[in-house]
Amino acid sequence: MSKEINERKNVGVSQEAVDQMITTRLLDDAKVRFIKTEGGFLSLETEEKKYARVKVLRLFPFTDPNRYISVRDHNDKDREIGVIEDLAAMSEETQKLIHEQLDLYYFTPVITKIFSIKDEYGYAYFHVMTDAGECKFAINMGANAVARLSDTRLLITDLDENRFEVRDVSKLTVKEQRRLDLFM
Amino acid sequence: MQLKYDIPAAKALPLEEGESLYYCVPYDVSQEDRSWITDGYLAVSSKRVFVLRGSEVVKTYTISQMKHTRAEVTIGGGMLVTTIDGVQNFIVRYSAKHRTRFAYMARGINILSKGRTEMVESHEHETQCPVCGRALTQSGICPKCADQGGLFRDFVKLVVPYRKRIVVITLVMIMASVVTLLNPHLQGKLIDDVFKSEDGSMQKAMLFLGGMFFLGAGIVVINVIKTYLCTLLGTQIAKDVRKTLFDKLQRLSVQFVNDRRPGELMERVVYDTGNIKQFMQNTFCNLFTVVIIFALDVIFMVLMNWKMALLAFTSAPFGVWFTLQFRKTIRRRYHMQFRREDEVSSNLQDVISGMRVVKTYGKEAKEKQKFDDLAEQFSKISFSNERFWALFNPLIHFIMGFGIFFVLMYGGMKVLDEEMSSGDLFKFVTYTNMLYQYIQWMTSMPREITGLISSMERINDVMMQEELIRDDDDAIRHDIEGEVEFRHASFGYKSYEPVLEDINLKVKKGEMIGIVGPSGAGKSTLINLLMRLYEIDDGELFIDGIPLKDIRNDYYHSQLGVVLQETFLFTGTILSNIRFAKPDASYEEVIQAAKLANAHDFITKMPDGYNTYVGEKGMTLSGGERQRIAIARAILKQPRLLILDEATASLDTESEFLIQQALERLTQGRTTFAIAHRLSTLKNADRLLVIDDHTIAEIGTHEELVAQKGIYYRLVKAQLEMQAQAGA
Repeated sequence: MSKEINERKNVGVSQEAVDQMITTRLLDDAKVRFIKTEGGFLSLETEEKKYARVKVLRLFPFTDPNRYISVRDHNDKDREIGVIEDLAAMSEETQKLIHEQLDLYYFTPVITKIFSIKDEYGYAYFHVMTDAGECKFAINMGANAVARLSDTRLLITDLDENRFEVRDVSKLTVKEQRRLDLFM
Repeated sequence: MQLKYDIPAAKALPLEEGESLYYCVPYDVSQEDRSWITDGYLAVSSKRVFVLRGSEVVKTYTISQMKHTRAEVTIGGGMLVTTIDGVQNFIVRYSAKHRTRFAYMARGINILSKGRTEMVESHEHETQCPVCGRALTQSGICPKCADQGGLFRDFVKLVVPYRKRIVVITLVMIMASVVTLLNPHLQGKLIDDVFKSEDGSMQKAMLFLGGMFFLGAGIVVINVIKTYLCTLLGTQIAKDVRKTLFDKLQRLSVQFVNDRRPGELMERVVYDTGNIKQFMQNTFCNLFTVVIIFALDVIFMVLMNWKMALLAFTSAPFGVWFTLQFRKTIRRRYHMQFRREDEVSSNLQDVISGMRVVKTYGKEAKEKQKFDDLAEQFSKISFSNERFWALFNPLIHFIMGFGIFFVLMYGGMKVLDEEMSSGDLFKFVTYTNMLYQYIQWMTSMPREITGLISSMERINDVMMQEELIRDDDDAIRHDIEGEVEFRHASFGYKSYEPVLEDINLKVKKGEMIGIVGPSGAGKSTLINLLMRLYEIDDGELFIDGIPLKDIRNDYYHSQLGVVLQETFLFTGTILSNIRFAKPDASYEEVIQAAKLANAHDFITKMPDGYNTYVGEKGMTLSGGERQRIAIARAILKQPRLLILDEATASLDTESEFLIQQALERLTQGRTTFAIAHRLSTLKNADRLLVIDDHTIAEIGTHEELVAQKGIYYRLVKAQLEMQAQAGA
């Protein structure tokens, strides 16, 4: 049976809703089954119910992308079904399926190399290499396009609202860091 | 926004007879390994949807089978999803760049699948210039291709209105240059004709000295006049820019203002315009003097002795080259200093505004540490910058002035050989020094110009924004009766993320509509649309049968009464705050309004009555008191349309009860829209509107909705239970 972090006994009509709200249900690999759907998504079978399409969301996308993954019922306003505490603890098959879906829902290319940054008319034009390939994008220098997630980690949002991550500024070459300095 | 790209692969599609191509849009993320691609397209014909990769058709769907196609927003991108035989199918994924385009695709496909044939069109702008790839401003203008001449022309535009004054200043500057250049000439003459000459006399010496004295005094006077005129010019330009900027800010959409930190916009009005002033005052005004003197200086030197002039010039290119090399470094360094300074001040602001939280959680030490770190970083970088400047400046000076040694050596030899007079040498050396001094001055230009450019860029960013809500030329002044109708109205703050979809609602004159629903469902958005703070994307909104966009905005707003959950009081007295919407209201009217709002009593008890000063530096009022002033403000205006957004939520039960009764009188015969979480507040509503999942889920009277046993019924039940539990 799935573990429950919180348990509260109470009476009342809407108590069930309260319980549902405050309880985190951890999904146990042995009790639930993820199945890839014909349409390319993921369905879930638990002991009680079958969910035709579930959505997976990272609770800590930056600090712990592979732990605490919320599994939600897409057809019921994304209501949370449960949480996968540690993806690595799941079966290989499940891991593969979940990673595939995470890849589908998340698109934040990681910048690995900065070829050039040119600024002009209040916009900065980046030409970079990312883990999704080479690309060019532009940011507005006036708005807060560059957010500092930590001292060395940056999240850059371009004009189209695409997001790019710099995992560790200090791992870039000095020349590349200099180019970035204007936005730090 | 382009929805039909002209690509060969789309033309080569094997279309059947009677099948025609409707849309063709790019997708930019590969389906297999989530990498960027450039050759992916989605083509939609009247019958089928094709997913293309290069010239290959990867997938095909039949539109008649596609039910409920949606462009789902994912993190950093989106995907097109459709339902076929009850199963949701993934069609294609794309980056955030194409979210809007695919939102249109989903709409287009849904229209076709319903058997209709109309084509959706997008009036939205692209984000990038199709010609040069540069980012477009929100108004869809390419800063380069639209060729508004860039910042230089912007600058010219800025100063042209002051051309007369600039001509005067230029004349003064020419005078300054002439006087400056004349001085060394006199000094040279003094040496040659008096000191070194046989017939030098005291009288002659006095004559030269007198001349030098007058020139010296002349420079001072001219400089005072020049400074005066320049300061005046700078201040005036800054004032005018500030005015236009403020005017523009007021006309821009709420969204633009919401998207930015308040401090940022303040900075643009205050700091950036100040920068322009500084530039006009310090740099621009000396620019002509410097350029004139520089040019004349060079000419004089060449005329006096071209060989020596060449020697003098030798070092200058090195100096300039050196400076230009460091321009980027300088900019980067000062930018970083500015950023750190900004961090220190925003951290300070954070802590001061959150003082209560910091104290109650006992986190003073941690906050101190954080602030210390930031202050340390800032002091480090400013020290490093000062040190850099201190080193860099004399170095440039040295490199630049190196030529003087050659000049002295060569000139000295000439004097010894008696080919040149010592007066001439003195004159030449003075000119050379002057030349270096001005080159030096010009090397600081990049810094000044960079400052000006970034300020102008920031100001332009505001000035070039499109005003989303603007009156048509033939917009009318309409006195509101009170009939309101939403017809198929849809709206989203972002066009790919609808907040309200297909709202249909007809409200009779004088009706009170209560709006309920979960947070985030779109209640306030509905009211924002009614207040015309935003324009609806699709569908229409009528006031008394007239489209809202045909009514003059200021005239419309002057007839609205609005009480929001958070009340803002302007700095000033209670009187001026109540009178905000009707400045000419009499004392009687103000008192009457305050009484109706149950505010009269507490106002009377204040030391200065209605003249009590409130706002940022004045008396602090409680939330409930502020709310009652806001209600008085709305009552005083006698609005035709009343909007209450959680107007009584922050009041205690007793005041709420009293104000409810006051509001009852106010809403009498007036069309009213009221949002409330506490359902008892809405007991007088003629009809209730339940907004859920972006649309009107239920509508009817209290009794009707309770009988329906839907969302409203559950809300009522939950609140009754809460009360019962609280009572138990």
